[in-house]
Parts: sequence; C-alpha cells; structure tokens
Amino acid sequence: MSDIAGTKPALRWVVQASVVLLVALWVIPTVGLLVSSFRTADQISGSGWWRSMFPSEQNLTLRSAAPETQVQQGDLYVIEGTLFDDDQQAAISRWGISAREVDAYAPGETAELRRGGTITVDADGTYRMENAEEFSGNRGVRVFVTATQSPEFTLDNYRKVLFSSSGDDSMGRAFFSTLTVTIPATIIPILVAAFAAYALAWMEFPGRALLIAAVVGLLVVPLQLALIPLLKFHLNIGIGKGYLGVWLAHTGFGMPLAIYLLRNYMAGLPRDLIENARVDGATEFQIFTKLILPLSFPALASFAIFQFLWTWNDLLVAKVFLIDATGQTTVMTNRIVELLGTRGGNWEILATAAFVSIAVPLVVFFAMQKYLVRGLLAGSVK
Amino acid sequence: MKHSLYAGAAAIALMAGSVQAQGELLHAVGDGSFDWDGFQAFADAHDLSGESLTIFGPWLAGEGQSFENLVAYFDEATGADSSYVGSDSLEQQILIDAAAGSAPNLTVFPQPGLAANMAKNGYLTPLAEGSADWIKDNFAAGQSWVDLGTFENAEGNRDFYGFFFNVNVKSLVWYIPENFEDFGYEVPQTMEDFKALMEQMVADGETPLCVGLASGGATGWPATDWVEDLMLRTQPPEVYDQWVSNEMKFDDPRVIEVIEEYGSFTRNDDYVVGDADDTAAIDFRDSPKGLFDSPPACMMHRQASFIPAYFPEGTELGVDADFFYFPAYAEKDLGTPVLGAGTLFTVTNPNPAAEAFMEFLQTPFAHEIMMSQDGFLTPHLGANPENYANDTQRGQGEILTNATTFRFDGSDLMPGAVGAGTFWTGMVDYSSGAKDAATVAGEIQSSWDAAK
Repeated sequence: MSDIAGTKPALRWVVQASVVLLVALWVIPTVGLLVSSFRTADQISGSGWWRSMFPSEQNLTLRSAAPETQVQQGDLYVIEGTLFDDDQQAAISRWGISAREVDAYAPGETAELRRGGTITVDADGTYRMENAEEFSGNRGVRVFVTATQSPEFTLDNYRKVLFSSSGDDSMGRAFFSTLTVTIPATIIPILVAAFAAYALAWMEFPGRALLIAAVVGLLVVPLQLALIPLLKFHLNIGIGKGYLGVWLAHTGFGMPLAIYLLRNYMAGLPRDLIENARVDGATEFQIFTKLILPLSFPALASFAIFQFLWTWNDLLVAKVFLIDATGQTTVMTNRIVELLGTRGGNWEILATAAFVSIAVPLVVFFAMQKYLVRGLLAGSVK
Repeated sequence: MKHSLYAGAAAIALMAGSVQAQGELLHAVGDGSFDWDGFQAFADAHDLSGESLTIFGPWLAGEGQSFENLVAYFDEATGADSSYVGSDSLEQQILIDAAAGSAPNLTVFPQPGLAANMAKNGYLTPLAEGSADWIKDNFAAGQSWVDLGTFENAEGNRDFYGFFFNVNVKSLVWYIPENFEDFGYEVPQTMEDFKALMEQMVADGETPLCVGLASGGATGWPATDWVEDLMLRTQPPEVYDQWVSNEMKFDDPRVIEVIEEYGSFTRNDDYVVGDADDTAAIDFRDSPKGLFDSPPACMMHRQASFIPAYFPEGTELGVDADFFYFPAYAEKDLGTPVLGAGTLFTVTNPNPAAEAFMEFLQTPFAHEIMMSQDGFLTPHLGANPENYANDTQRGQGEILTNATTFRFDGSDLMPGAVGAGTFWTGMVDYSSGAKDAATVAGEIQSSWDAAK
C-alpha cells in the first residue's frame, strides 16, 4: 500500500505539468493574436509578435521632405527636418542613400547626393540637406537607415473593425443582428427539445426506441444536404430569407443533438422520484415543469452554451437563409469576411475581428461553464 | 425582464437593419471630364421609379464600395432602388440561391467557367439582342470578349450571356524606379533584354525576382499565370486556344517546353529570393514586400494589376513603385500579347431595372466613374482614359487597349478539376522540384481526361 501512496505525488506532478502544458498550448496562440491585433499590417509581416514587446533593430526606408520646403540660407539652399514621425523614438546606427549600400555612412557623416548637394543625417533622425543650386523635382530623397526602434502599438485596427466606413454599416449593426439570430435560435430548440426529451425518456408509447434511434441517426446527417431543399421550402411557403427562416433552420439543425443530450440526462434521473410524483397524482405536465426541468438545468445550460456558440460563429446557415441580395441583413461573421476584403490576407483585421467576436461567447461561457462539464458527463457516464 | 431585453435587442436590430449601406455620388452631376451628356441621355430614356434591383458580386470592402458608388449614379439617373451585396463565397452561394429560386437580378461572376455552368443549368438569361455586336465594336479585342461571354444553354444553343466589366491585366512586372536608378538599370523592352537584365542583377549581387505561389487552398495559381503568360510569348495565340480547350494535349512538347521556360525563371537559386524549391511556401500576398525591403530583397515581381493592394501602406504608385509590361520576345514576332482576367455581369433574375442596368454598363460614363476609382481597368474604347485615377492605372489601361492579342487566364477557362485543381497542384510539384515538367504535364493531362 505504501508503494501506491508513494507514487501519488509523482502522478500529481505529471498531471499538473500536463495541465500547464495544455494551458500554454492554448494561451500562447491567443496571446499572439491579441498582440497582433494591436499591430499594423506592415509590422505583422515585418516581425513576429513575440518581438513586438522589445526595442528592435530594423532597416527602414525613409524619405526626406520634398524640395518645395527648401529655404535659402546665404548662398545655400537648405532642407531640414527629421526622418521619423514626432512620436517615434529611434536611434540610427548606420544610414545610406542608395539601395546599393544601405549602411554606407555613420550618423553625423555627410553624403553626396546623386542629383547634386549633400545630406547629413544624425543619430536621432534629424537631417540637413544643402545645395548650391535649387533642389529640383517634387519628392524628397530616400534615406535608408538602420535604426533601433522602441515598441509601438496602435488601436487603429479596433477603430477600423468597430467603426469602419459608413457608420450604419459598421460592426454595431451586425452585432445586434447576430444577437437577433442567436438568442431565439438558442431558446427555441431548447424549448422543443426539452419536451421531446422528456417524452422519449419517461413516457411509455409504442415505437419509442425506434424514434430515439432515428434521432441519434440524424446526428450524423450533414446539414449541407438540407440547404437547398430547405431554402426552396421556405421560399414556397412564403417565409423567404429572413430572421424567421434562420431561426427555424438553426432550430432544425440543432434539434438532434439537443434531444439526444437532454434525453440521456433525463433518463439518468432517479426513477423513484418520478414514480412517487405519479403516485401522488401529478400530471405528466406537472412532473415535467416541477421536477424534470429544474433537475435538468445543468444539461439545459450546457446545450445552451453549445447552441449559442455554434449559432454565434455560424456563417454558412446565415448566408443561405438570412443574407439576401438586398443587403439589409448581415451577421458579424459575414461582416468580418467583408472587412477582410476580396483576397483575404489582412492579418491585422482578422486578429482584431477575432477578439471582437469572441467577447460575447467568452462572457456566456464563463457565466455558465460550471454546468458544461456536469451536463455533458451526466448524460454519458452513469 | 430578460424577455423585454431580448425584445429590445431585436427591435434595435430591426431598426438598424433598415439603414442601408449606400454608395455616394463622387462627383456632382456636370463636374469633371466624365461623359455627362451620355449620363443625361441615359437618365432621360429610363424612368424606373419604384423598381428595385439587386446585384450580387465578388467585390468586398474597398472594391465593393467603388461599385456601390457607381450604383448610386444608376439610382440617381433612373430613380430605381438598387442594392449591391458582395460575398467571398459567391461560387457556392449563387448555386444555392439559383437552385432555390431566390437569385438576385444581376450576378457578377469572377470567372466565366462558373457562369457557363449556370447557363447550362438554365439559370441565366441571355443579354438583349445586339449586345454581342456592341461589345465587338466597342471593346478592344472585342471578339475575344464576345467569345468569352458566350455559353451553351440547356438546349445546347449558344447565346451571349456575359458582359465583361472590371478587367485586370496580368502581364505586368512591378519594380521600384528608384532602385533601378540606384543600380543604373533600364526597363527592358524585349524578353531578351529582360533576361539580360536578370543576368546583370545577378552579376551585381542582387536577386532579380520575388516569387510567391502560396494562396491557401489555391496555392499554385501564380505559377499558372506565369505559364500562361509565357505560352502567349512563345506560341501563337491559336496554340494557346487549343491548349485551353485541350485540342492540344497538356503533355504536348510545346506545353512542356513552356513549363520549363517558367522553370528557367524561377527554378534558379540565383534568380529568386530564398531557395528556388521554396517558392510554393511563400504567400503571394507577402512576396511583393521583398521589393520594399532595405536593402531590397529582390528587384522585380511579376504579378497582376491588383497586387498594389499588398504593397506596404502609403506606397505611392508611379513613384514609389511602378510596373512595366512583361515583355515579349523580339525574335518571335508575336506582337504584344496580354494575359488578363475579369468579372462578368449576367442576368440571373430578369426585370426592367436589370435590363436598364446592362444598358447603363454600355455607356462610357459607367466605365469612367469606375476608372476614377482605384483598381478598375476597362477595354471600352469610348471611355476617356483621362479619367483614370492615376498614371499607373492609365498605363495598364493602355496596355489593355493596345493589346494585339488578349487572352483570358487559361486556368479559369479549363474545367474546374484541372484549372482550379491539378494545374495548381502540378505547378507546386514542379516548383518545389518534386517532379519534372514532363511528369507534371502528363499528370495534368490524365486528370483532364478523367474530368471529361
């Protein structure tokens, strides 16, 4: 016995280490996404998010002010200024004026410009261009610098995702439409499935087992099969594309899992309890509302979380049953795709939109997560 | 309490839903060098008050907004109530909507192949009589556009269904003029010069090309563009047509030769950034960024006219970055072939407003308004090139209107299993050095045989 007791701390250590590992596996990409959502597209493609916290040495291509800003000082035409924006902090270690040699000069040295004149660049980015003749052209010269830059973050991505383009077309509207889709699409299936689950678990009628088998069988039918026939049906009976249609579709597609999950949970409730109630003269409806529903709360809650997350993240069903060519309705997932643009690849928008759209599911999950495991296990493990 | 909250949320959502994204009239009527007379004539001829029009297309974000701005002028002229919705999964969604009978009035297809399928299933309505003749007379290389928009219907009759609007040119090489200046390079006029320039760059210790083929599930398509462009530069256009229709087999020696020609540019460690075997791992959206590195990672990038969308923020086209025509061989005497692609308008649910909109697209005005915004090119000969937003776009427009031969992106015309399947994957195999050109061509041909 002492042997077994002796292995326990080691076992616990292994369990804890693997928990830490799993948490790290999940959290690291999320943190990366969060950090990326505060960076610009150029920064994201330039360096990894893990480097964004520290000052980094970068090769930059900057440009002096245009010749139109030149002033005459004595015999010389002079352009002065700083290469960096006002709020940028950077220290230049080498610089150059040709793509051939981007690190030809040290700060403070003077370079001859190809089109005449000279340029001197200091470590803090200030420069002075001098020329005996007038500077010509309409653009400044390129200056290549090797500089150490302090980390920089921006809120622009959030601004773009939340408040982009014409205000009424922004995320706000999509947010409320998504809620309009999601809330009824979560409540209706629970209502229907709870009744069905009770009947399948506790009411005796012929063909009950077959009915249960049919519901379980429906779990494996992919919903894509039903898209076109169901949409045709909706159009024929006059529902068309709209909120009602998408609620019904979500209800239908969510029903097999809901019934299965709730029936298994309810079937596990103690038989004595229900028989006692019957003996005491309770009607089936009373048993259902007074006993079964309160006792099934963990299962109801865990299914609600599932259904809510699935309808919140859904794009396919919304595109087929809700979004029509009039552009009156949209959902957040669709809005995010639109923000990504025709060819995708806007990582900064993707990262930001991901964080905006997980806000609500996170709240729902943390509010109800204590029921999740209980509800799931209670249905499957007896 | 909870219920009133839900009801409140629903009410807000419904109210918010009634406000609609709208385009705006960018220029007041009569302003600028647009064809306002044509606009006025169109407005006088059409009164569609109370009619509504729905348009479904592939453009999102900025491009979608540009198009909505055009739709706003249509509404202004006719009094119709039009709306545009963009989707990135148009290919799937339009099939569902058409099959279920809830198709929008007009659908803009990103490639002709899909529209041809829709026509075969009877979901498209032919365009008005005379549209084909109009295109032939008013578009540069008009006959090519008519052929591309003509499909077989369910009964096997050929009709004209698709009106090309918003074209892009693929035969472009992007570069940074100031880098060329620093090194003393000249823009090459012929393919011979282009190859000599690449040699020169290698001798100077620079890398000539940035190549990136990765594009998620569509990885490999940039390589198919290369092959198509080189096909037009080494073989007469008739051979290109035979290749696209599989009259000439994919494993024909001429095709293999072209694939190897592509390899001579990109299967050479000296010519491309990084390892030549790794081009398929570089995202096509990231690949042009090497031009802007300090020091430059590469000197040139061959890609279609849309690629500036992926240049670093604040890049000013024409000054910070520019393009030249991917040149043709002087010795082959094949003129100036241009490879391109484009979107086509089709009628999926006819009504008077849809007909009127198709007429509206024939006016130079519609093209001019689009030209004045980013990223739109047109082969319409009547549209005034002065209206292009910038010199870069104007230059691309001229390439299009001056083309002696225009050919559509071949992979879009091939059967989906080939053009959006084995051709892509085959080019990835070839580009990564896994298989040689003859093996790849043979495999693509057998997949084509299987698709028939």
